[in-house]
Amino acid sequence: MTHAKTSTIDLAARWLVLGLLLVYTIYNVGPIFWLLLSSFKSRMDLFTMPPKLFFTPDLSGYQSVFGVGAAKDSASAVGVFDSLINSIIVSVAGTSLAVFFGTLSGYVCSRFNFIGKGDFMFFVLSTRMLPPVAVLVFYHLMFARLGLADTRFGLVLVAIFANVGLATWIMKGFFDGVPKEVEQIAIVNGYTRMYAFTRLVLPMVKGGIAATAGFCFIFAWNEFAFASILTTTQAKTLPVKISAASGATGIEWTQICAAGVVLIIPVLIFFYLIRKHLLMGMTFGVLGRS
Amino acid sequence: MSDTNASSGPGARAAAHATRQNELRKRSSGRLMIFGFLSPTLAILLFMVAYPIFSLIYYSFYNFSALRQAGMKPVGLGNYTFLLSDPELWERFIFTGKFVFICVSLQMLIGIFVGYQMQKNFRGRDVIFTILMMPMMLSPVVVGFLWRYMLNSEWGIINFLLSSVGIAKIDWLGQTNAALWAAAAADTWMWTPFIVLLATAAFRGIPETIYEAAEVDGASPAYRFFRITLPMSAPVLFIALILRLIDSFKQYDLFVALTGGGPGSSTETVSFAVAKTAFSYFYTGEASALAVILLVIIIGLSMILVRHLTKMGEKY
Amino acid sequence: MAEITLKNLSIEFGSFKAVDDVSLTVKDGEFVVYLGPSGCGKTTTLRCIAGLVKATHGEVLFDGERVNDLTASERNIAMVFQFVSLYPHLTIKENIVFPLKARGIAKSEIARKLDWVTDVFKLGDELRRYPGALPPGARQKVALARAVIRDPAVLLLDEPLSAIDEQFREEMRWELGHLQRQLGVTTIYVTHDQREAMSLADRIVLMNDSRIVQVSQPDRMFFDPVNVFAGQFIGSPSMNLIDLVPVEGGLRLGESEVTLTPERDRLPEWAMASKRPLKLGVRPLNVHLTDDQATGVPLPVDDVFSVGRERFFSFRIGDGIYQGVDKRQSPAGSAGRVHFEPEGLLFFDAATGRRADAEVAA
Repeated sequence: MTHAKTSTIDLAARWLVLGLLLVYTIYNVGPIFWLLLSSFKSRMDLFTMPPKLFFTPDLSGYQSVFGVGAAKDSASAVGVFDSLINSIIVSVAGTSLAVFFGTLSGYVCSRFNFIGKGDFMFFVLSTRMLPPVAVLVFYHLMFARLGLADTRFGLVLVAIFANVGLATWIMKGFFDGVPKEVEQIAIVNGYTRMYAFTRLVLPMVKGGIAATAGFCFIFAWNEFAFASILTTTQAKTLPVKISAASGATGIEWTQICAAGVVLIIPVLIFFYLIRKHLLMGMTFGVLGRS
Repeated sequence: MSDTNASSGPGARAAAHATRQNELRKRSSGRLMIFGFLSPTLAILLFMVAYPIFSLIYYSFYNFSALRQAGMKPVGLGNYTFLLSDPELWERFIFTGKFVFICVSLQMLIGIFVGYQMQKNFRGRDVIFTILMMPMMLSPVVVGFLWRYMLNSEWGIINFLLSSVGIAKIDWLGQTNAALWAAAAADTWMWTPFIVLLATAAFRGIPETIYEAAEVDGASPAYRFFRITLPMSAPVLFIALILRLIDSFKQYDLFVALTGGGPGSSTETVSFAVAKTAFSYFYTGEASALAVILLVIIIGLSMILVRHLTKMGEKY
Repeated sequence: MAEITLKNLSIEFGSFKAVDDVSLTVKDGEFVVYLGPSGCGKTTTLRCIAGLVKATHGEVLFDGERVNDLTASERNIAMVFQFVSLYPHLTIKENIVFPLKARGIAKSEIARKLDWVTDVFKLGDELRRYPGALPPGARQKVALARAVIRDPAVLLLDEPLSAIDEQFREEMRWELGHLQRQLGVTTIYVTHDQREAMSLADRIVLMNDSRIVQVSQPDRMFFDPVNVFAGQFIGSPSMNLIDLVPVEGGLRLGESEVTLTPERDRLPEWAMASKRPLKLGVRPLNVHLTDDQATGVPLPVDDVFSVGRERFFSFRIGDGIYQGVDKRQSPAGSAGRVHFEPEGLLFFDAATGRRADAEVAA
């Protein structure tokens, strides 16, 4: 008797859980689906009430993002396509350098004890927490003074600074996973520490470097606050460009949605490639260690 | 005999000297490596973080505008006293606080619930997991625009869905309270997956035997969750909480795209206020002071996080 | 407390049969030990009794009632796991009272039970500490205390001592046996260590390859193994197993020149008459060194060595090296004849490995 009763309660609880999960999944996936759908809608279809699920696909949004077809506007100096190029250059260059520097400092933090190491690690970590607008108040002046305003080089500098801390922490986590004996044996055998680092340790953390690069790229690629304040025309990145996609005819929703889809694709690919290291990157490798 | 002789003779001293030289060289090569490897990171962080922050502190004591390079008037604590007595700033802090509170509690609640379901093994788990992570991958600006697009009171999909179940149209972005909830919904949409990710990992880190022992001990599923699962994953969940507190506290991008700070200035976060003061009004001194206040709060939160992380490192 | 019955129990994981048609009744208050090599299905059987693994076929009965569909928490069992399964975030005291709290038992009752358990296990200072601060042996003691605090119908122990230091294990084993007799709780214990099984069990259930090999009391298990596997698994050093070749007037030991005769070695008549190839099983304890021509046979003695106070010797038959116990305390390198005690001779069918002796076969 009691057994039958508990199982009805169990059943009800299970349905409740399933129902809640379903609601969450709709909340979670619905907007993504709507973004994808809307990126193919013409201006007419966008504003129709009730919203259309079936319509003739309109590629004008994508055409403008990739700079082809009639949608190319010759009026403004920097098109959406140019901003896509800017985004690629800034993210790739910024990521490469941030990962390079982060690998070096991550190695030192993993292997050596030096005075002020704890403070250095905290300082490095805190750069990830830094509110961009706070430092931007000064960057605004500094970049103008140094002629870095509205240049890709300036944005690359920002991308390095914004990601090198993350890269240091994640790489430290990966280096911690390599036994110290690797270098010790090499040194005993008469090789230099540098040789051990470049020829033995680095190849062992190849996967980690790739994962770190994936994370830095995602953050650099989606970055908005710095790029929006520090660029005016020439160096605008795609996220900045779409935020300004409100012309005389109102906000270009199709273009924004298409740009959103284009922006998410490389991130999806990277997410897939680095899925095993997801936690490590999201939490600075702190969790990955325990 | 010859052994003892050798170890105290001149040859031995030379050998010892050589080893010491070797040691020194090794140590100095270590030092060289520390210095060489750290300097690029250190240089860029000093230039891009330390220098700007010290400059901000310096500027915060001056009345000065980026538009007019000439007039830098020292005002002591004037900027701070002005800001702290400005009711508008307090309103921004209150709005930011409300936003942070709603976002973080919703994200933690939903994230822990979904994470608990995702730790179970079922078919298609990995695929569903990847799909659930998608909002987190979008640029915050895109998220802002996407929700602004869906929340449009006339032709937005959300009001359409609400009206189809008989709820009157809501002017989401035209009313302060509705806009607060709209922004919270967008932020929660984007960042709940982050909590799901961490919570799932934390829950899966609990050994299977612990659950089996609890089941044998007669603990009901709810009792197991509250007495075993939650306390055992608390350290990780705490990290998630602090990271979300910091991130939602400094939220800026989302509001630029979603509300533009409106209606009026009612949805301006503290970050938004810094940007507006600095780049719309060009009250650079005042903006610097506000940025310093914001930094102090964020660094305070970060220190809690770091202290917790160090403690965790010692415990496990 | 309860009587546990397994009826034709089979447990399959996909195409792998972990447990194959096992039937057994564990009497109320009995201490039964499942013994066998790793992977033989003993732990799976235990987990099935606990309700942590579902039976594919057959039934599990508690006091005659089918419990197959009850969850672990509904079965009123207690279990101690091989690896420490204490809740690391709870103190020792909180760990011990966890099963009572989980069932919503009144506070006064919990306090009373805690006092009792604290007394039985002599846990004083430990109560306020955390599991991480205790050595593994003490942790298992706490796990045991947590298991018995609520009078379970059956106490299930899955290799509880295997993660503990040798020296402490002995002590724990003794305490465990004492405790079980004191509480009188039906206990099922899984181990791969035959010494643990021999010293603890009322009855041993020997398993191999997913099936039960033999169920009997420890001494019967030792003196009357049903087959070669049982004979060799139980006892340390392990039983000598020697080929027997039928020859004129007796049975020759493998490739040696030595023949066991009915007169000297009191070979049973059926063994002489048997046409089947046989194997001789004899424990080192039943093989001695002697100078007596009448009882000893000439086999080359390799070595005489001591393990602690006991003295062993090894001898050869063909390529095989076998062991015996030297009761004479003869010096190393001394030669002598090898005497097989007639009472210790076990005969196995060489083809099937089963005991060929008439009394077991009957």
